[in-house]
Amino acid sequence: MSSSLIVHEMVEEAHDRPARKKKLGVLFWICVGWLVLNFIGAIFANVLPLEDPLFQNYAVVNAGPSLHHLFGTDDLGRDIFARIVFGSRVSIEASLGSMLIGFGIGAPLGMLSAYRRGKFDSVVTAVMYVLLAFPAIIATIAVLSFWTPRSLLKIIIVVGVASIPLVYRVIRGATLNYSTRDFVVAAKVQGATDRRILMKELLPNVAPVGVSFLLIGIATVVTLEGALAFLGLSVNPPTPSWGNMINESISILQTNPWLAVFPSLAMCLFLLCLNFIGDRLRSHFEVSEGKI
Amino acid sequence: MSDRTPLLRVRNLTVNFGSHRKQLSAVAGVSFDIFEGETLGLVGESGCGKSTTGKALMRIVEPTSGSIELEGTELTTTHGKALRNLRTRMQMIFQDPISSLNPRRRARDLVAEPLDCWKSVRGAERDALVNDLLNKVGIDPEIYGDRYARQFSGGQCQRISIARSLAMRPKLLICDEMVSALDVSVQAQILNLLVDLKREYGLALLFIAHDLAVVKYVSDRVAVMYLGKICEIGPADTLYDFPEHPYTEFLLGAALEADPDAPLRGDVLAGEPPSPTSPPSGCRFRTRCPFATDKCATEEPPLEEIVPGHRVACHYPLSLSAEANA
Amino acid sequence: MTDHPKLLVVKDLRTTFATPSGPLPAVGGVSFELGTNETLGIVGESGSGKTVLSRTIMGLQPRRNVEVTGSVLLKGFEVVGASEKEKRSIWGLEVAMIFQDPMTSLNPVMRIGKQIDEILRVRQGMDRRAAKARAVELLELVGIPSPAERYGVFPRELSGGMRQRVVIATALAGSPQLLMADEPTTGLDVTIQAQILNLLDSVKEQMKMSVVLVTHDLGVVATRTSRIIVMYAGRIVEIGSTREVFRRHRMPYTRALLDAIPKVSNPSHSRLVAIPGRPPNLLDLPTGCAFAPRCAYATDICRVQRPRLEPAEESGHAFACWNPLPVAEGALT
Repeated sequence: MSSSLIVHEMVEEAHDRPARKKKLGVLFWICVGWLVLNFIGAIFANVLPLEDPLFQNYAVVNAGPSLHHLFGTDDLGRDIFARIVFGSRVSIEASLGSMLIGFGIGAPLGMLSAYRRGKFDSVVTAVMYVLLAFPAIIATIAVLSFWTPRSLLKIIIVVGVASIPLVYRVIRGATLNYSTRDFVVAAKVQGATDRRILMKELLPNVAPVGVSFLLIGIATVVTLEGALAFLGLSVNPPTPSWGNMINESISILQTNPWLAVFPSLAMCLFLLCLNFIGDRLRSHFEVSEGKI
Repeated sequence: MSDRTPLLRVRNLTVNFGSHRKQLSAVAGVSFDIFEGETLGLVGESGCGKSTTGKALMRIVEPTSGSIELEGTELTTTHGKALRNLRTRMQMIFQDPISSLNPRRRARDLVAEPLDCWKSVRGAERDALVNDLLNKVGIDPEIYGDRYARQFSGGQCQRISIARSLAMRPKLLICDEMVSALDVSVQAQILNLLVDLKREYGLALLFIAHDLAVVKYVSDRVAVMYLGKICEIGPADTLYDFPEHPYTEFLLGAALEADPDAPLRGDVLAGEPPSPTSPPSGCRFRTRCPFATDKCATEEPPLEEIVPGHRVACHYPLSLSAEANA
Repeated sequence: MTDHPKLLVVKDLRTTFATPSGPLPAVGGVSFELGTNETLGIVGESGSGKTVLSRTIMGLQPRRNVEVTGSVLLKGFEVVGASEKEKRSIWGLEVAMIFQDPMTSLNPVMRIGKQIDEILRVRQGMDRRAAKARAVELLELVGIPSPAERYGVFPRELSGGMRQRVVIATALAGSPQLLMADEPTTGLDVTIQAQILNLLDSVKEQMKMSVVLVTHDLGVVATRTSRIIVMYAGRIVEIGSTREVFRRHRMPYTRALLDAIPKVSNPSHSRLVAIPGRPPNLLDLPTGCAFAPRCAYATDICRVQRPRLEPAEESGHAFACWNPLPVAEGALT
């Protein structure tokens, strides 16, 4: 036991005062604001006063940023700003959709496994390890290249399924950490049903871990979409996506650097915010964790 | 013992852990009764199976064999809903006050947990009952009711645990080392509180602890366990003043009194308990017992009554050997 | 007390931690002396500062967020303000420490004999063969059966009591003058606890060293120490010979602590006299006596002014209280 631990305990002994609300900080809220803005853009892209992302205006090809075209236009005269806003739909839909599948199946399975243990746990864990042993990215690429025609839904399904064992492992580990604690036994002894224990005792404790992993998962899928686009395996053009836009910009980088800058910036900011939020949330929950 | 029907009747309770190849017998045939409103203390060193006994009674660990009867209902064969129902009549308080409360829930909800599980009372009645319980254990519901479990100190957590265990008005409370993690001054508060509430609620207690003095303080009768078996059981005062089993004698001798004039005993019990995976033949204490003979190695001593209410599992109880010497 | 020069002189020692909630005075001005071949008990509840005090005396404090003032003279060596390198010259050789959890103070992947061996070779400059012989000797001294065979076992293969014996052997390897034992028997079974305490007693005599026994258990210090310090909220509230503190204590806290312990010799169901309230919050100490809020004898002055350590009749016995218990009443009934 280190001295700092003793101090920590003594600070904890400083009872009798209501716990001070810990601040998450301004930067955290700015990041949240940015993500919310992205989401609003993606949801209401149709209603917003944007140009048609598919409209090709040959009068302004490869134009730089201007008042009329905020981020300029691409080699077909399409408005980059509009394409980025519409493109965020793909990233957000793909990440949320696949995480919905990953968490929808992986998280309950993980919690159940860790809570029930025994045969159920052994079997499910074994299956998950077999899935994990598959090189996920290569499998994803392979499936997507053969499962034609490609659509966003198919990408979501493939990536989602690939994420199930990862989610399972994280959630199972987090649940195991709590399922052996006395308060779970105490609840059982009080006559709580398994369902009640899972929902009321375990879920609130596992949720912070789940949330931070969810944020990591979203970020991973957003980058994955970029990588798939690079291989030509993302949604079919002309549908805009951040990955597609970056991919298309490569060939004309010399003539029109803006085409590469803005979608990359959009993706970069989005990921930065996600990671920062995840990090902040984790440390926020970790301190209260120390009090256990 | 007496003709009264006991509240809890335990017969030949055994608990084995591990696979068939390497079996660890944690509890090896334990029998005792607890009567209504009575406190039975269970003492022993770590690994003697006292905690496992408590957990087996609550069916937190599954008994391997034996019978547990609570008010005439056999517990070992009960499952599912019936088992859940039985749990309202028996409650348990754990050693670690902090880990036995969900850190992310409020004091009020923790105490209400059993009520919510059973939906026995709702609404205003439930809130009133929760406030009443918190008041009973000395936690002001107005100030502390909405605090999270992680904001309480160990002593306060143990108070909340007590309130929670009383919510369904159980008949029997199993206390597993409930004060061993607390400071001396707080320990005394919690013990006094427990004794007061026991009287008020007419509870029977199974008080499991390693601290002999603490056990004596709360118990009417005390059982001493060694390596999965009860080696002596009897009224608290008699057992402490006139121990019959050599192990009890050594245990009492090793207990440190907060008294500078307490005699320093040279004859401290040597060695350490053998492994429960391969317990010695015959009497389990014989490997450390200075009085052991060949008979102890071959024949297992039964738990026999030598004075009414006082039973001992030893071929050579101390009082008899003293007589023989005299 | 003896006429020998003091082994340890602690003067106005203060250890203050900087915490997010403000300065935390874990040790708030402690002074005492320790002679050679003496056993001193430091007793207190959690938050009393006993553990921090023992670590500060050793010079073991975190590098950041801590301020230590005052003086700790160990055989003339000033520990306060000394660098790690300077302190290393006394650690193990002049002063050694054993901790509550023997598993954490032993290296789990190293054979126990080697752990003692290494200290002997590095610190005492012994050659391989001499070190091994001495290590076996030390294992025998601390009561490890068949020490030559046990030399090669790993800590996990030993029971808690045996591990603590090994820890004691490693502490003795440098033949220190002072052994600091921080809750050495907490967590051990009563019969094992008695064995370990007896062992500490016997090695103390054999090696002519002094022992500081830090514990929350008054039972541990009652028969094993010659003097006791009772701590509360980072300060000494009573100090004196063990007999005097147990029999003729003047400070109400000492009395309350003694009363709160269940005793094996008392009849069953005898009522405990609990101390009301909770241990003090070091971040928010009252201006007066820290025990005043829980004390039955507290008067107005107790709440305003902190009492100093005043000498009692017997030399060496001192207490910090405005309303001390009368001598006659202080006797245990």
